[in-house]
Amino acid sequence: MIPVSPRMRAASCLVAVAASALLLTACVPNAAPDATRIAVTVNDTDCAVETAEAASGTVTFDVRNDGEQVTEFYVLGSNELTIVGEVENIAPGANRELTVQVGPGDYFTSCKPGMIGAGVGRAAFTVTGDAVETSPEEDAVVAQYVGYVKSQTEELLPQVQAFVDAYAAGDDAEAKRLFPLARINYERIEPTAEQFGDLDPKIDYRKPGADEEGLEFTGFHRIEMDLWNAEAVADGEYTGDPDLTPLTPEERAELGARLVADVTELKEQVADPGFTLTLADITEGAKGLLDEIAAPDGKLPGEENEFAHTDLYDFTANVEGAQVAVDTVRDLAVANGSADLVDELDQRFDDMFALLATYGDYEGGFVSYDTVGQPERNELAAKLSALSEPLSTLTAAVVTD
Amino acid sequence: MNEEAAPRMIGTLMIGLREGLEAALVVSVLLAYVRQLGRRDAAVKIWIGVGAAVLLSLLLGAVLTFGAYGLSFRAQEIIGGSLSIVAVAMVTWMVLWMLRAARGLSGELRGQVDRALLGGGWAVAAIGFVSVGREGLETALFIWATTRASDVAPLVGFLSAVSGILLAALLGWALFRGMIRIDLTRFFRWSGVLLIVFAAGVLAYAVHDLQEAAVLPGPFAATPAGAGPLLAAFTGDAAWAFRIPHLIAPDGALGAVLKGTLGFSPEMTKLEVIAWFAYLVPVMTLFLRASIAQERSIRTRKAAVERAAAPSKGTP
Repeated sequence: MIPVSPRMRAASCLVAVAASALLLTACVPNAAPDATRIAVTVNDTDCAVETAEAASGTVTFDVRNDGEQVTEFYVLGSNELTIVGEVENIAPGANRELTVQVGPGDYFTSCKPGMIGAGVGRAAFTVTGDAVETSPEEDAVVAQYVGYVKSQTEELLPQVQAFVDAYAAGDDAEAKRLFPLARINYERIEPTAEQFGDLDPKIDYRKPGADEEGLEFTGFHRIEMDLWNAEAVADGEYTGDPDLTPLTPEERAELGARLVADVTELKEQVADPGFTLTLADITEGAKGLLDEIAAPDGKLPGEENEFAHTDLYDFTANVEGAQVAVDTVRDLAVANGSADLVDELDQRFDDMFALLATYGDYEGGFVSYDTVGQPERNELAAKLSALSEPLSTLTAAVVTD
Repeated sequence: MNEEAAPRMIGTLMIGLREGLEAALVVSVLLAYVRQLGRRDAAVKIWIGVGAAVLLSLLLGAVLTFGAYGLSFRAQEIIGGSLSIVAVAMVTWMVLWMLRAARGLSGELRGQVDRALLGGGWAVAAIGFVSVGREGLETALFIWATTRASDVAPLVGFLSAVSGILLAALLGWALFRGMIRIDLTRFFRWSGVLLIVFAAGVLAYAVHDLQEAAVLPGPFAATPAGAGPLLAAFTGDAAWAFRIPHLIAPDGALGAVLKGTLGFSPEMTKLEVIAWFAYLVPVMTLFLRASIAQERSIRTRKAAVERAAAPSKGTP
């Protein structure tokens, strides 16, 4: 992940909630047409739920506090402990709603006037009906994309190993050549890697990000700094950092081994049978890949690889990753009547790749990004936002109901 | 207004006070910080951060209340818990960073701190943003729901909630006034100590939120069959460290103030208590040791400090 300032991180989290509010399981309909509404009346000694039964799906409890104390209303799981839903701070005289999505099973309702103790009026609540299901088509699409992520992590590992071997052996020229190549597979699936919160910081943080979070600075960019440090200082573009003296062969070996271990861990996490994604993860991930290019400390401003200047490799890999995601959900989007959107995206991807191709390719190498002038960067940015804009509507086109 | 209205208003007011206090205290220390350093421009940025958080909270609260979709309970808790952890990380970083920035200080104090605040003008604004935004979403949901309630004068409920928040702001302001009156060296120490204490409370409650969301083990899950003794001690009823709501009412003034300042809640889980201590003890030790060492070195350069502390009344 591109390290972002705390301010940006906080903002992007809130924005993500706002932007994806309709799309993720994090969100529940406030007033679904088929939602069951159940009145709950609380006073200081009782918790009266209108009915003790409901059909599975979205259930909204209208909780009214007739007592004189602030109260809370809970829906608990069958063990009477797990909180399925909770609404706190129901002021005396106030009405508040709790909307939950429940499958068939046994639940309990309970109130806590004064927010004290075990609560009052605990009562059984039964939900009948069918389990909430996803369609087989959607499952197949997700499985396909998960397979793709697995294959990328499997390809990533030997690439990183080769890079680390050259670096540890002191073959700087070879290590510098392999650096951008070893990152390709990672950059294609970065939003997925970020789901494993502690791995991405170890693998792909830049120094400001690591410092900001008080993490030890390791991974790709630590090695990048070591490989290009002398050069950058000599060019006068970087004043050097007392914390970053050239590493000894032992330190190089250790740093390299940790990167390999972290990448191995990523591969294993992804390979875990329990690992899965949602459709929205895929489409939002595609958008996320493009956002990472354009971020203030991303590829477009040349900050991602500020020493190696290999940002065009990452740039290309990010766009490729986004394209795979779009390809994976293409049929769903078309089936939902968004064929125009898919066509437009195809066109924008073609434009983007055509422009990138003028700067080189993986095999022959891309030009060093510090030789790309501001007008050219602006052109890249324009193509990127032309692609990014329609892509931001993809989730809505793919994730329905 | 009927005779039932008074206790009702107080209950609502306490909610506003409790939710507002944590944010107000952190923000007041932040403002005192930049004021002490003579960086009024950064104070403006903090207000921008706070204002943005309030606006965004109200907006999100309105969307989630009146829009077609709301956040699920788990999402609310996970977002609240994660933002709290972010806030703790940022406050800790700031406290330790400011200490380091001011460590070797001599006549250069102002220059050092200026450099530290260079990007940091926005960094402190960001801390204000997260500190307020963290509580803001939940409070906004509450405020909107209270406003929406159709009978029993929703306006009264709304106004008493806002009064609670204003009371919290007033307490924050009082803290701010107290903080700017003390000299720079003591200020660094006291503001740091306060922020670390507030942060420990925030962290403890973040753990609570994540336990409620079943992200962390806690009293909201039964002990799984065949669980080891360690896990068993942290799940089910055994997960509680203490439950004394009968001694300190969670909806009373004392409960609200303890919760808003120390993060002390009358019902706390073991994991919360552990998080509180595990954060507070090392961070406070680190901070106090560094702070005392710093003071010692400052004493030897009193003249420089006096220059830097101007226009305050000088060192004691």
